[in-house]
Amino acid sequence: MEDHKNDKTFEVDQHLTAHGRYYAGKMGSRFYISLRDKRKILGSSCKQCNKTFWPPRSICTFCFSELKKTVEIGPLGTLETFTVVTYDEPIHPRKAPFIYGIVKLDGADTGMAHLIDEVDFEEVRIGMRVQPVFAKERKGNILDIQYFKPL
Amino acid sequence: MTKKETEWISIPMTVDVPYRFAAGQYLTRCLTELRDNGKLLAVECPECKRVQLPPRIVCAECHVKNGRWVELGSEGTLVGFTIMYLPMTDPTTGKPHDPPFVYGSIRLDGATSVLDHFVHVEPDLAKVWIGMRCSMVLRPREDRIGDLNDILYFDPLPGQKKLQA
Repeated sequence: MEDHKNDKTFEVDQHLTAHGRYYAGKMGSRFYISLRDKRKILGSSCKQCNKTFWPPRSICTFCFSELKKTVEIGPLGTLETFTVVTYDEPIHPRKAPFIYGIVKLDGADTGMAHLIDEVDFEEVRIGMRVQPVFAKERKGNILDIQYFKPL
Repeated sequence: MTKKETEWISIPMTVDVPYRFAAGQYLTRCLTELRDNGKLLAVECPECKRVQLPPRIVCAECHVKNGRWVELGSEGTLVGFTIMYLPMTDPTTGKPHDPPFVYGSIRLDGATSVLDHFVHVEPDLAKVWIGMRCSMVLRPREDRIGDLNDILYFDPLPGQKKLQA
């Protein structure tokens, strides 16, 4: 029987890179164009279920009917939950530490993840009222809202 | 009537993930031996006698422990190949390998399984064929780090010709 007690660990470095493209679709395009050109945040609403979705989607989660109507929501919202990120990952848009939060905008029934800033890590709390900070140069992606900050 | 959208939004995204894996008992021996002595080691199953590369602790078909190490020759036979016209991402660096190039499966002498690697030959169907004999070309000893890129490519052995079908 071979003895492996004294074997050292051996690790191999690897590196994955995948280039892709995210297509926002009909509803998503409307959302990003309105955000970029008018600084207005759109949600899509289902009349039957009386629900408004953010980000807007073209199919209702509950009744599966097609959604065509968009409504302006926000810009103010409520922090539903959050986490303080204390470690770096290549996929994160920022260097740690920073806060990810789920923001439910006024007029919407769903929350969406975004960055929370201009608040102390000790002072961030669930239920906090937040407002978006729009980027000066907007490019039609979700970082056209740079982050949400407390009122 | 639905309003016709004038613009479609799409966002280029690149997923870039450096990572590292622990090679484990058998693969460690295989990779360090390749790095230090330029030898490729495989394991033989005591039941079905197949010789596996990369080496596995357990034969996946017989469910018995592989114990006997076999040194493979540095020459082998091309059992399949493709000419790549799209860049392929090198899993060790994340950088694309420029096309066109030939990528093939080589059965090293003494092995049952095949090893996929670059074949150092012009990307021309007249110059590469199944059954072509190749030899393994390694990086110089001082540049070897213990991953599969320590093998640079497989060179076709000189003096052979593609047989007409």
